[in-house]
Amino acid sequence: MKEIEVYNTLNEIKDLMEKSSKFLSLSGLSAILVGIYALIGAGIAYYIIGYQNVSYSFCNDTLYQVGGIVVLALILLGISLLTVFAFSWQKAKRNEQKLYFDSISKRLLVNFFIPLLAGGILCFALIMQHHYGLTSCIMLIFYGMALINGSKYTYSNTRYLGYAELSLGLIDSFTVGYGLLFWAIGFGLFHIVYGIFFYLKYDCKRQ
Amino acid sequence: MKYNLEHINKAFESKVRLGIMSILAVNESVDFTTIKNLLNLTDGNLASHTRSLEELGYICSSKQFIGRKPNTQFSITPEGRKAFAEHIRALEDFLKNQKL
Repeated sequence: MKEIEVYNTLNEIKDLMEKSSKFLSLSGLSAILVGIYALIGAGIAYYIIGYQNVSYSFCNDTLYQVGGIVVLALILLGISLLTVFAFSWQKAKRNEQKLYFDSISKRLLVNFFIPLLAGGILCFALIMQHHYGLTSCIMLIFYGMALINGSKYTYSNTRYLGYAELSLGLIDSFTVGYGLLFWAIGFGLFHIVYGIFFYLKYDCKRQ
Repeated sequence: MKYNLEHINKAFESKVRLGIMSILAVNESVDFTTIKNLLNLTDGNLASHTRSLEELGYICSSKQFIGRKPNTQFSITPEGRKAFAEHIRALEDFLKNQKL
């Protein structure tokens, strides 16, 4: 019987090490939803831009179009973050943990948002200077780096999603005119695929 | 067959102490409340265990004030890290020998 006891003790140690250094209340369903939002958003953006010369440079870059895209992007970001927080909160509750903003979640948030914020500001600067063409690849590249940076403080396989976004962004930087398509693949498709993988690997088992 | 039972550290027989060491082994420093929440303990219970670990020289603490609230940060000492690693190794050896 002692054998089982020692085995359990070692498992508890491993569990505690993971729980104390990583934020484990992420949910696969939220990634799927974020992906769906992104696809819907990309559809609306396509409509706003007006079917022509998609994304590289808006032919008649009226203030209305640029403003519309920026507002759309901010709304998408807002509801995506809300969704992720809501699902994380629910998962924490289900696991009978409190979702407290302790040092663990703070570390994840800081490490995730620093590259993301830098990318966001860079995008904003480019839009101000009417360089619309590079925004999609910069969003993908910086989002990828944010995921890689944050992955140390949560499920480590989020870094693979980061590598995928980063590579896609770099490929996007060499192409002209397919920005919105790359954006939809990176933020839509990749999130949905990763979310399903994540759901099957972690969330399904627990229920 | 005899195992290296001398490496099983008496100080770590308590689950709480072993838990504290596990948390501190993978973090630079952790504050009192976080450890308390992770291990589901009361203030007094955790305080008595951290005190005994501190007396053994396995962990060290530093107290500071955030606003008016006292905030105690704990971190593992080199001796503590060594003792913890030896303890884990002894447990693992025990399991290995059982399976043979």
